[in-house]
Amino acid sequence: MSIDHLLKKLSVRSPWLFRINAGSCNGCDVELATTACIPRYDVERFGCRYCGSPRHADVVLITGPVTTKVRDRVLTVWNEIPEPKVTVAVGICPISGGVFRDSYSIDGPLDRLIPIDVNVPGCPPRPQAILEAVVLARSIWMKKLGLEG
Amino acid sequence: MTDTLLALLHMCLFPGGVFALAVGFFFKGLDRRVEARLQSRVGPPLVQPWIDIAKLLTKETLIPKTACRQAFLMAPVLGFTGMAVCAAFIPVPGVFNGLFNMGDLLVLFYLLPIPAMAIMVGGSASSSPFGAMGFSREMSLMLAYETPLLMILLTVAMLVGKGLTGGAWGAEFSLLKIVAYQQQTGSFGLNPVMIPALLAYLIFLPGTMGVAPFDIPEAETEIIEGPLLEYGGPLLALFQVTSALKTFVVLGLGVALFFPGTVSDLWLVNLGWFLLKTLALMLLSLTLVKSASGRMRIDQAFRFYVTVPCALALCSLLLVWFV
Amino acid sequence: MSSFLKVLFRNVLNGPSTDPFPLGETFTPDRLRGKVLIDPELCMGCGTCKEVCTAGAIDLSELADGSGFRITVWQNSCCLCASCRHYCPTGAASLIPDWHAAHPEEDKYVRIEQQTVKYEPCSNCGTLMRPIPAKLARKLYASSPELDPEQLRHLCPACRRLRDALKGRPFPVAAAKVPAEAQA
Repeated sequence: MSIDHLLKKLSVRSPWLFRINAGSCNGCDVELATTACIPRYDVERFGCRYCGSPRHADVVLITGPVTTKVRDRVLTVWNEIPEPKVTVAVGICPISGGVFRDSYSIDGPLDRLIPIDVNVPGCPPRPQAILEAVVLARSIWMKKLGLEG
Repeated sequence: MTDTLLALLHMCLFPGGVFALAVGFFFKGLDRRVEARLQSRVGPPLVQPWIDIAKLLTKETLIPKTACRQAFLMAPVLGFTGMAVCAAFIPVPGVFNGLFNMGDLLVLFYLLPIPAMAIMVGGSASSSPFGAMGFSREMSLMLAYETPLLMILLTVAMLVGKGLTGGAWGAEFSLLKIVAYQQQTGSFGLNPVMIPALLAYLIFLPGTMGVAPFDIPEAETEIIEGPLLEYGGPLLALFQVTSALKTFVVLGLGVALFFPGTVSDLWLVNLGWFLLKTLALMLLSLTLVKSASGRMRIDQAFRFYVTVPCALALCSLLLVWFV
Repeated sequence: MSSFLKVLFRNVLNGPSTDPFPLGETFTPDRLRGKVLIDPELCMGCGTCKEVCTAGAIDLSELADGSGFRITVWQNSCCLCASCRHYCPTGAASLIPDWHAAHPEEDKYVRIEQQTVKYEPCSNCGTLMRPIPAKLARKLYASSPELDPEQLRHLCPACRRLRDALKGRPFPVAAAKVPAEAQA
C-alpha cells in the first residue's frame, strides 16, 4: 500500500464540516448545531469538526432554498472549498425548494446550480438523520478519492 | 563538528523533532478526548490529530490571487522552524539537560512568539480582511501575554541567581542551572514565594496556545478562523504541527521552571514522570479552562492579561527581590 | 465557576451520554413524523390533501387511459406538517416514524410514495367509478342497519340516488344505463 493510498484512506476519518446558509429559516441550522453541541449526538466522534473557513472544509452542508439575494454568495463560497469536497443538502428546501418552491425570490433547487452528493430531507431532518448523511458523505468522499468503500 | 551534529540530532529526534511532535500530537488528541468527556461526550479517537494531518495532506492548496505569495507560503514554515528549534531547548529532567547551558531562557523567550508572528505574517499576507482582523487581535493578545511571561522568567532567573551567588544580586538565565538548582533545593512550584508566578504561568498557557477563553485571534464563529482563513491543505497542516510542537514547548518549559524534580535514576522513569507532569499541567491549565469557558472579547482579554497575571508575577518578583 | 466545575466533574463521573447511533441503536418516538404513507384502500382521490399540502409535495392525476388515478407524494418536498393526515376525509394519509431520510443524489426522485387506485365499474350501470372503501361504507351506513354497505359501495353516486328514490324496489331495466346528465 502506497503512502498516498494510506493518506487517502485515513483522510475520510476526518471530515471537517462547513455550513452554508442559503436563506434558510434556521431550523436546519439549529439541528446542525445540535449535532455538534448536544452530547447525545456528538458528531466529533467521527473526527468531524465544524470549521469556520471554507478553505478547511471537506463536507459542506447547505441549508435553505437559495434565495436570489444569496445565490451568488453561495456559489462564491462553494467554489472556495478545495477539492475533494462532498456537498450535502440539508432539509427539503435546498433539495426541492420545499415550502418556498415556485416563489419569485427563490433560485433553487440547489442541484440546478451546483452538484449535490447527498440529500437529507426533512423539515428539519432529525439530528440522527444528519449523522447518517455525514456517514453517507464519507463513503461518497471515498469514491471521489478513488477508493471503494 | 560533533557538537553541531549532536545539536541537530537533538533538534530532529529528542527532545525536539520527532519526540516533541509525538508528545504534542498525543497531548492534543488527549486534550480533545478529555474535553469531550468533561462535556459528557465521547469525543474523537486519540489519533485524531494525526488523521487530520493526513487528511490535510491530501487536500489541494489554494493561494488567493491577491495574496503576497511568498510571505503566504513562508509563514507556516517560519512558525514551524521557530518551534522546532525551540523544542530542542526544553530540558527533560534526568534525561536531557537542554541544548546549551548559557542563557537559553532568553533565547526561548525570543523564540516563543515566533508561531504567533507566523500567524500574523500569514494572516496579513493572505489579503483577507478577516486575516487583518486576526492579525490585530493576535498582536494585542501577544503583547498582553508576553509581559507576564517576561516577569515570570525574570523571577525564576533571579531566584536561582540569588541562590547560586549566596544572596547577592544576580540572574541566571541557563535552564540547565535552573533545573539543577531546583533539583537540589526543591521545586519552585512548591515554594510559597513562587506560587503567584506559577499561577501567572498557568494563566499564560491558554493565551499562548490560543485556546478558549483566549482563542480570540482564530475565533471561528466571529472572524472565521482569522489569519488561518485562507490556509488549507498542507500549509494548514504545518500550522497544526507548529501548534502541537508549541504545546510541548510551553508545557515542557513550565515543568522545567516549576517542577523539574526527578523520581529515580532510570531515564525511562524520569521520562514518564516528565510526561505525567506536562500532562497534568495541560489538563489543569488548558483542557479544564477550555471546556469551562466561552470566548472573551479582545479588550477583556488584554485587560485581564495586563492586570491579573502581571500582578501575580510582579508579586513573586517583589517577594524574590526583597525576601 | 465552582458550580460549573462541579457539572464538569459530574460529567466525567457519569460517563458520556452520547447515543451510540449510527454505530448502534437509537430511539425513535412513536409519534415522530418521518414519512407520509397513503393507503390505496382508503384514498378516494378527492384531492383535499393536494389542496392543503404546504409544500406542494402531493400530486393527484388521472391515469392516461382514465382507468383510475395516481396519488404521488414526493418525500423530498414534504415538510412533514401532517396537514394531509389532518384534512384527509377518509384517513388515507398517515405518517410513520421512519426518519432514515439521508440518500445519495441518484435517489432524489426515487423517494416517492406513489399509489395507483383503479376505478371499478358500477355494479348497476357499469360506469367507471371509485367504490367507497368498505371501512368507510360501514361507517357511513352504521345508523341505518337495513342498508347493506357492501352492496351500496359498489354503486355509482347516480345509481345510489336512484336506488334511494326507488325505496327498495328493484332497479327498472331501463334505468340500468343512467343518462349522462344524471351522472353529472
